[in-house]
Amino acid sequence: MSVVGVTTYDPVTELWRYRHLLVSLTVRELRIRYKQTVLGVAWAVFVPLSMMCVFTFVFTRAVTLPDSTDLGMPYPLFAYVGLLPWTYFASGLNGCVNSLVSHRNLVTKVYFPREVLPMSCIGAAFVDFLAASFMLILLVIYFHASSDWSFTLRPSVLFLPVVVVTQTVLTVGLGMLLAMANLFYRDVRQVFSVIIQVWMFGTSVVYPLPHSDSWIGRLAFANPMTPIVQAYRDCLIHGRLPDAPSYLYAVAVAVIALVVGWACFHRAGFLFAERI
Amino acid sequence: MPRGLLQLTGVSKRFRRGAAHDRLGELILSGCRRILGRQRRRPVDSFWAVDDLSFEARPGEAVGLIGPNGAGKSTALKLIARILRPDRGRVDVRGRLTALIEISAGFHGDLTGRENIYMNASILGMRKAEIERKLDAIIDFSGVEPFIDTPVKRYSAGMQARLGFSVAAHVDPDVLLVDEVLAVGDVLFRQRCIGRMRELVAGGAVLLFVTHNLEQMQSFCSRAVVLDRGRAVFDGLPNSAVAHYFDALRAQLPADTSSNDPSADAVVALVVKSVEGCAASVVSSEDPIEIDVVLRAARVYRRLAIEIDIRRELGSCLANFSSIRDDQTFAVPSGRSCVTLSLPSLPLGGGAYVLSALLRDAESGRVIADSGFRYQLFVEDGGRPTGILCLPHEWCYTDANALRESQRDDRASRPSPGVLIG
Repeated sequence: MSVVGVTTYDPVTELWRYRHLLVSLTVRELRIRYKQTVLGVAWAVFVPLSMMCVFTFVFTRAVTLPDSTDLGMPYPLFAYVGLLPWTYFASGLNGCVNSLVSHRNLVTKVYFPREVLPMSCIGAAFVDFLAASFMLILLVIYFHASSDWSFTLRPSVLFLPVVVVTQTVLTVGLGMLLAMANLFYRDVRQVFSVIIQVWMFGTSVVYPLPHSDSWIGRLAFANPMTPIVQAYRDCLIHGRLPDAPSYLYAVAVAVIALVVGWACFHRAGFLFAERI
Repeated sequence: MPRGLLQLTGVSKRFRRGAAHDRLGELILSGCRRILGRQRRRPVDSFWAVDDLSFEARPGEAVGLIGPNGAGKSTALKLIARILRPDRGRVDVRGRLTALIEISAGFHGDLTGRENIYMNASILGMRKAEIERKLDAIIDFSGVEPFIDTPVKRYSAGMQARLGFSVAAHVDPDVLLVDEVLAVGDVLFRQRCIGRMRELVAGGAVLLFVTHNLEQMQSFCSRAVVLDRGRAVFDGLPNSAVAHYFDALRAQLPADTSSNDPSADAVVALVVKSVEGCAASVVSSEDPIEIDVVLRAARVYRRLAIEIDIRRELGSCLANFSSIRDDQTFAVPSGRSCVTLSLPSLPLGGGAYVLSALLRDAESGRVIADSGFRYQLFVEDGGRPTGILCLPHEWCYTDANALRESQRDDRASRPSPGVLIG
């Protein structure tokens, strides 16, 4: 008998065949996270909300932002709109870093496209992100009613899904690289926990980044998360589309991250079971 | 209907012995050294875990994969399951492949049995609708229904194995790889699993079955491949495969040093002789045989007792002959002598058996020498039953008329059930 119908798939088709596994793993990730907790999914709201309170205290009581900075909205709202996507980004990547290593049993004993492990962590972070978004609506209503700031819903909100997708693409690309790197060198996890802290302060999450031509200013704008976080504020609160050049730059970085990340991940995939 | 197909062509896998650099620091250091030209390339110490393995399994074939620990059985399964990639050769699989390498690999202790079924089934490549359709059957098969909504961390190992196997058995694979996972379940469940695997094989699936339970393998597989240190040393009928498996095991036994030392007590040889009195490695189950225990005593023993065991595997003992139980001890001088055990017949099924003998000083009760599992006894299997025992028997046929008559006689002669209860 000759060699017959050997089924091999390209990574995208393979992932599509295992999409149910991606959903199951995401659900499992969430179930495990919130099992035996009293607050359950309310924790997803609690984390950005408490951060918002801390930074509101810091930037309105301890230090004050320069008078010239016009946020265009109350500071707590400014902070929350920044913290919401940032938490999605950071907790998604944080899950990815450990995703392969913590599922050693699956990686060494069962075959499935390994991409679903980091992707399911991002999926779980995305569900948290959606839950925390409801809090944003409440905050907008609160500040609209209680302060002299007023909110008007503009059509630019329709651009938000594009922003979310851009951010997700970037996160998936980086997440796969991190998951893989941490599998080979466990140092990555330690380095990552420092970098993600620094990165947050290099992104206009809790304060607006000053435009400057200093190297720090340029570095801040090389950071693709700055235009993405800015785009959330633009679309949602300011009611305008994001600044096109810097946003397109972020899209380009996100796509490159995904292509490079996935390609490396797929090519190194056969080593995972051996080197974990 | 031909379904599954499995074909391995010269598949080889090399593993590194010892640890690779695992820390970033080491990598940077070695990188720097290499740039400075001071790095002596560390010779990579590697070995072939699977070496040039080729075989093919056709639809409806159940193939056993046996071999000593570390022979490369699990690595071979992982290569087939695409968990590892072969360094050389190729694996061709047609159809849906399910590998049961560790039954509870996809389980998470905090999730309930039901949640874990969904999880495990989707890891094995099942769709949600398919899982929902088969959920009841899976729960039913596993027999853990009362605990299906209890977190799996509160399950016993056997219950986890049951649940894991139930899921895998309902994937309807075309190629099923099973790696020694049935050992935890109880006998009843094991039989149910074997039954399910038989069904799959009858439906055209290919089964590759790794086990150390040779009897189970023999009763279930139509063919067996013996692996030893990564190489396939035999591919053929299960009964003959078992003999090769023992050869591989025996090669790993530590060399018997006591028999070389002329001043120690030892079993020098166990010789099986057929009816003609000549040494035979293969005997027939119907003929009388003799077993010579050639021994060497370091000193004079006034009362030496001998025990002989016949075993199926290196475990279960089928027959034990003890001279002390038969009120017989032997006075032996120092030096070589021989004790013979005669058997009118050896009613064993065809296959390989292990023969061992030990010498006991009946005065002190101490064991002074033990042959270990070094000697083998082959019983020829010319059309004889493949079970362990070969019992004397005959058949008889009763036609329908005679049956009715005997039933009438029965009814007349037997008291009715009511009478029995009363």
